Amino acid sequence: MKKLFLSVFASVTALSAMAGGHDAWWKTAGQPYKGVTLQGVTENTPPGQFVSEVLAKDFEELTGIKVRLETTSWDQMYDKAIKDMEANTGIYDFVYIEQDIIYSYLDRDFLVNISDGLAANPKIKAPNVDFADFTTFINYFKNGEGDVFGVPMEAFIKVYLYRKDLFENAEAKAAFRAQYGYGLEPAKTFGQYRDNAEFFTKFCAEQDMECWGTTVQGHTGHPASTYEVLETIFPSFGVYNWGINMDNYQASVENGGQLNGGRAKAALRFWTGLLDFAPPEALQSTWSEVGASFAAGRAAQGWVYGENAAWIATDAERSRVVGKVGVSLPPTAEGVMMQAASGNGYIGYFDGGAFGIPHSSKNKEATMLWLQYLGQNEVQADWAIAGGRITHKATYSDPKVVEVDAKSDAYFTLMRDTGYLFAGAPPYPFHGAGRAAIDPFIFKALAGELTPEEALDQAAAAVDELMKELGYAK
Amino acid sequence: MVGSKRIPWYLLSPTIIILLIVGLLPFIYVFIVSFYNWNPLGKSDEMTYIAGDNFRKLVFDDDFLLCVWRSIKYAFTTLFFEFVLGFLLALSLRKSFPFRPFFRIIHTLPLVVAPIVVGAIFKLFTVSGFGPLPHFLKEWFGYKFNYGRDAEQAFWLIVGVDIWHWTPFVTLTLLAGLSALPKDPYESAKIDGANPIQIFFHITLPMMVPVLLVVVFIRLMDSLKAVDEIWMLTSGGPGVETRLAGIHIWRSVFESRFYGYGSAMSIFLLYITIVICWFLYVIMTSKQNQFHDK
Amino acid sequence: MINNLIKLLKFIIWSLLSIITIIPIYWMILVSTRSPVELFGKPDFSPTFFEKIYWKNFIKPFVDGVYSEYLWNSIIVASCNAILVTALAIMATYALSRWKLAASENIFFWTMTNRMAPPAAFLLPLFLLFSLVFRYDDINLFDTKIGLILLYCVFNLPFAIWLLKGIFDGIPKDLDEAVLMDGGGYFTIITRIIIPQAAPGIAIAALLSWIFAWNEYLLAATLTSVYARTIPTGLAEFVTTTGTNWGSMAAVGFVSMLPALVFISLVQKHIVAGLTFGAVKG
Repeated sequence: MKKLFLSVFASVTALSAMAGGHDAWWKTAGQPYKGVTLQGVTENTPPGQFVSEVLAKDFEELTGIKVRLETTSWDQMYDKAIKDMEANTGIYDFVYIEQDIIYSYLDRDFLVNISDGLAANPKIKAPNVDFADFTTFINYFKNGEGDVFGVPMEAFIKVYLYRKDLFENAEAKAAFRAQYGYGLEPAKTFGQYRDNAEFFTKFCAEQDMECWGTTVQGHTGHPASTYEVLETIFPSFGVYNWGINMDNYQASVENGGQLNGGRAKAALRFWTGLLDFAPPEALQSTWSEVGASFAAGRAAQGWVYGENAAWIATDAERSRVVGKVGVSLPPTAEGVMMQAASGNGYIGYFDGGAFGIPHSSKNKEATMLWLQYLGQNEVQADWAIAGGRITHKATYSDPKVVEVDAKSDAYFTLMRDTGYLFAGAPPYPFHGAGRAAIDPFIFKALAGELTPEEALDQAAAAVDELMKELGYAK
Repeated sequence: MVGSKRIPWYLLSPTIIILLIVGLLPFIYVFIVSFYNWNPLGKSDEMTYIAGDNFRKLVFDDDFLLCVWRSIKYAFTTLFFEFVLGFLLALSLRKSFPFRPFFRIIHTLPLVVAPIVVGAIFKLFTVSGFGPLPHFLKEWFGYKFNYGRDAEQAFWLIVGVDIWHWTPFVTLTLLAGLSALPKDPYESAKIDGANPIQIFFHITLPMMVPVLLVVVFIRLMDSLKAVDEIWMLTSGGPGVETRLAGIHIWRSVFESRFYGYGSAMSIFLLYITIVICWFLYVIMTSKQNQFHDK
Repeated sequence: MINNLIKLLKFIIWSLLSIITIIPIYWMILVSTRSPVELFGKPDFSPTFFEKIYWKNFIKPFVDGVYSEYLWNSIIVASCNAILVTALAIMATYALSRWKLAASENIFFWTMTNRMAPPAAFLLPLFLLFSLVFRYDDINLFDTKIGLILLYCVFNLPFAIWLLKGIFDGIPKDLDEAVLMDGGGYFTIITRIIIPQAAPGIAIAALLSWIFAWNEYLLAATLTSVYARTIPTGLAEFVTTTGTNWGSMAAVGFVSMLPALVFISLVQKHIVAGLTFGAVKG
């Protein structure tokens, strides 16, 4: 939190120094809305906290417009935003839109077209904010005509994290080569991943260290496990869009989908097989526990969300492996990397979210001003350091960010150079229901009640059924 | 009783007004919605009237019915232990013994820890790898405790947490009841030479029936729809083994957004609860009548 | 002799029970005094807080953050609700106990059903009720303490009424008659006769209503936002996608127990007063 304090201090001074030139514009633009209070809802994460603790206060000082940001849990945030927009109760002026829910919101016409709004109101169009400054992540929040409906506030990629100290350990290297016949290195293929996992579990046990070969986000009751399968494991095996055929919205092989096809089954079998090499808490691990396990030094490798990679690598108050973390692209099956590079697939998950404006908001113009404030290049660097997120192209080369990048094994550089290989969630308005239908079968596969093959057969059938019920399939 | 008939209604009116407005209106809404097919995530997010179809579907919905069955198992198991334990403890608190007030306060502590924190603390306590419980179970007994995998362990874990959390409620309420019992019957019984066991079964128990009913009903109602602590601990896992009805409905409404069907399930669960309570009411008041007949 | 043996037995059993009760709470206190890194590794049961306390877990939420506000909100909501429920319940139960009212059995039973229903499906209508129906101009019940206080009545009133009914019924009606004949009114009856005689029951009803309002999470989370947030809702915010902040959560959980403890001790007095057998009956 010393970091947060420093970034607050830094941003206040930087802001006043740098944005001095534009200050006047913001003051004038905000004049008509002085005294208004904007109400927003978002998740309680470091990027969200930075907004409410730093940016909102700066904005209020500058324009006299007050911002009240409710930070809450993941499910509550969704629920309240959706309720407000469904019922048009006009409670929130801006809401957090996670990348996977944007399609649902656009489909149901919940959000204000920001591009149009700005075009119609030149007085609130900020001179130092250009949507072209954003990374490609902003494309997720545009409609068919390229109009922006959400201003990105965070973006990360889910990467492969590994323990540099373990992988560079001389004894380990020798023993590995002796056992497997090739050199020990961060996994590029699944065969390697499994060998690494198997090896380190044994190695750690022999060395009497509390560590295992891999993390598994395998909570047997929480959707986090289904997400790891759908967002990360499947794509890297070549199963895209949850295995659902986007022409007829069917998932089972008989009906044209891939969810219970050969690749998907191989993927699930591989992943559940990793449980043998994972710490015991894997079966109770959601995204938070995976981060905690890795930070406690209990795993040699794993798939970890970008927002966790940052603090695991640098924050000594929360992590035991500071300075020992390596970051790299996740392993992929043969041909998948090429498919992704040519734009026909993807290798992993591009995570993140934006702020959007509900139609029922009573302060649309003031909110558009606020969202543009968040979209300025000037505020991005400190925000990036506080929250481990980047949404603007220019932020990558900011000296402060470069410094942190070096400490986290070039995570930001990786995101800049290979971000195009990753993709967000598929454009499914039925996202929540679809995933919930698949959940029970993944849980049972993890708990050993079903084989991976059975689980996927039943999951595919359940999805097909759901699609018919919701009216997407005939 | 002599007196104007209007007075009781004056006394009752604030209660009735609040309950009508804040209690009845939402209920009517849910009732109405249960006759519609409404899922905002569907191709059409309109509400379409389908009469009793949701309820017809319910009857064949194995997943949901299993959840209801699990809830009933859970509710009765926790009720049994909490009831027996709570009653014994309440009885023991009537007469003084060393440090009684101190023990009473400690006993009440679990009640004032928020359910979320109870769930969180027990999760931290029992999670494999970090928690003390699995660690000591393994070291001292060689027992592998991992409720992410073992359904039995998961079930008894959530039962245990509930007992820890809610037994004091039973104790306190029964204590309230015991303290208000009239003294006469006891004096007559002593004169007649009855022993403590007879006194308990023929005097105390029957007179306590109204309070017992309150306790049993409240615990039953609360555990049949329980969500918070279980969600923190197992989220319904492993698989769906601890997915109680409350969790199932919660996920249907919040995640899958089946508003219509979710409303129907809620009404159904409500109905089941009412039936069970009515059943118990009949049984327990017949015992009370037995006493009156003597 | 037997009596002393029984007392000893009770003492032993209660001691064991108390240890089991305290262990998780003790664990919570331990967690609240440790930094995140210290939570990993072999679980340490020793009272490390005598050597070192990681104060950040406490300072960040309460001093830097809004949890002091949340705590205050919780205290207000719980106390006001308990007072309101107790007052209304005493009145309502007296009416139900002393008069044979036409619909009393039905009203009675129906009020209980409010507590039986699983909350999930009711959140949407309540949300709509609070923000659309109860609206005057720009003011509505969403994110207000009053809203919660009224809402919790729906759950606490029926329970209180049921609890008190059995007790009130046990207070003989002749006492009421006596007061009336002496020229007193119903108010006198309630305050001079009913309340003193039913004190322990009333105290417990108030206590349990307070506790329910204090601990309630789901409805508070849905119907409040920034101003009327209560502690349980605030506690849920510690569970995030980037890791659960166990330390702060335990710290806030621990501190929240304190006002509750104070309240319990205050109420205990009244429970004790009535426990001497034969409090009832003149």
